[in-house]
Amino acid sequence: MESTSRDDRASSLASRFNDCPARPRIRVTLSLVRTVLHVNTSQDEAAAWANVLRGDGDAFVAIFDQHRDRTYRHALRLTENIHDAEDVVAGAFLELWRRRQSVRLVEGSVLPWLLVTGTNLSRNMTRSLRRYRSLVALLPRSEGAQSAEDVVVRQIEELRLTIKIREALDGLSPSDVALITLTAYEGYSSAQVATALGISPGAARTRLHRARSRMGEALGVLGTESGISMKESSL
Amino acid sequence: MSMLEMDPIFSTALRGALAAMVKNTPRARRRWRWRVGTGVFAGLTLVAGGAALATGVFSPPGAPLDSPLAKIVTATRTGTATIALGNPSATSTDLSLSLTCLTVGTFYFPNGSSLSCDTADMSQPPINRTASEVVPLAAGVDSVVVTNGADNSWTLQATYVNQIVTPWGVNANGQTYGATNQNGTPDLVAVVIDQGTIHGYVKASDLSCAEGGDVKSPAEALTWDKESRNRNISIPVFESDGTTVIGKFIMGDAEGSTAVTVPLSSLALGC
Repeated sequence: MESTSRDDRASSLASRFNDCPARPRIRVTLSLVRTVLHVNTSQDEAAAWANVLRGDGDAFVAIFDQHRDRTYRHALRLTENIHDAEDVVAGAFLELWRRRQSVRLVEGSVLPWLLVTGTNLSRNMTRSLRRYRSLVALLPRSEGAQSAEDVVVRQIEELRLTIKIREALDGLSPSDVALITLTAYEGYSSAQVATALGISPGAARTRLHRARSRMGEALGVLGTESGISMKESSL
Repeated sequence: MSMLEMDPIFSTALRGALAAMVKNTPRARRRWRWRVGTGVFAGLTLVAGGAALATGVFSPPGAPLDSPLAKIVTATRTGTATIALGNPSATSTDLSLSLTCLTVGTFYFPNGSSLSCDTADMSQPPINRTASEVVPLAAGVDSVVVTNGADNSWTLQATYVNQIVTPWGVNANGQTYGATNQNGTPDLVAVVIDQGTIHGYVKASDLSCAEGGDVKSPAEALTWDKESRNRNISIPVFESDGTTVIGKFIMGDAEGSTAVTVPLSSLALGC
């Protein structure tokens, strides 16, 4: 692994210094050159993100490993097929790197920013992802990847709800979609989403309430089944 | 593969591409500063239209025409603040925003666009420290939030507008020319150069190539970074006929004694 080789290089460097009698003995603190490879807590993630900002590819990949699945599931809710969801994930992480100097962390995590960015990308697939179209098109995919219609056959109950919700979300602005989905599905409070969106907590509460009302009208009876209906506790 | 798990082949390839991209990005990565509208940086700018608050701005074919519908609200604040704009009229389609930095700092509009001002910018006249933008008006919106994490100061001018997008022109060679707008990018993109004294067009293909927008792999991204590092890139500016050269459009923000400007045609960018 990259971290092992770095540690080995650091050890080798340390021993070379230490074995040289003409020089004073120098202590090399290995933790300074060790990359955070596993992100399990927000503290890990904040440390990993600090390494990303210093250009550490291992730390960036560790953050990808940590947040890939939740970003993908979020994208699935908002897109029409699996390929689009994959493109959104790719775009979100490529944007995370491109805009790394201005990413808003929420309690040490980049995930809310990734989910908000994924929301924006999914709302305008063609324009938003144009920057990365050539690169993403070169990434290989499994043959016979499932279309949304194939999935319906096997997971019809789950997807039926997803399609209904997606249709209801279509009438909302990207930031309102982010507010709805991040509070209802991802467990964030409206204040946390407000931070990711760069708006005040008060504005987020107002907009979330309004968006939920509009969602409720769009979903009708199904709204009470979706888990995103009028629950105020997360406010 | 479950529906709720990402295609492992795609995921692995993406992971590798991300790692390569980070690895291949130079530490001291050049920063392309986002400047739009009236903020003419180094004497040039792309013409994006939306000139409601900027009188006298070149308005080429394809530029949105914004008709102000209300009195312009002007507010000066420090840090993050919300500016109330009053109720929009029924014909309001967009919000015209013009943000000027009064101190060093980075200031964000709600859509994520930002204005960054450094110490050197502070000696510039206000118009060179101003970013203007026209954004679609979402239902129920009657205020604008400008975000700034520190105690930096700014002035916002904002008003509701009704926007109409004009059609692009078409020259004798069948090339479209005008401003980039919500319909896409014309073949020849409107620019102003030499402090706004010359209005012309650059080829969209040249623009994309010089911006690094044509890279197709991490390896090509590395080549682009290597070729463009510490350099400004010049591309020819044409009349709307697409053949008569009238100037050079300089891209990049390389500054200092080591900065050079080279023509796009001299770089091995493969586009």
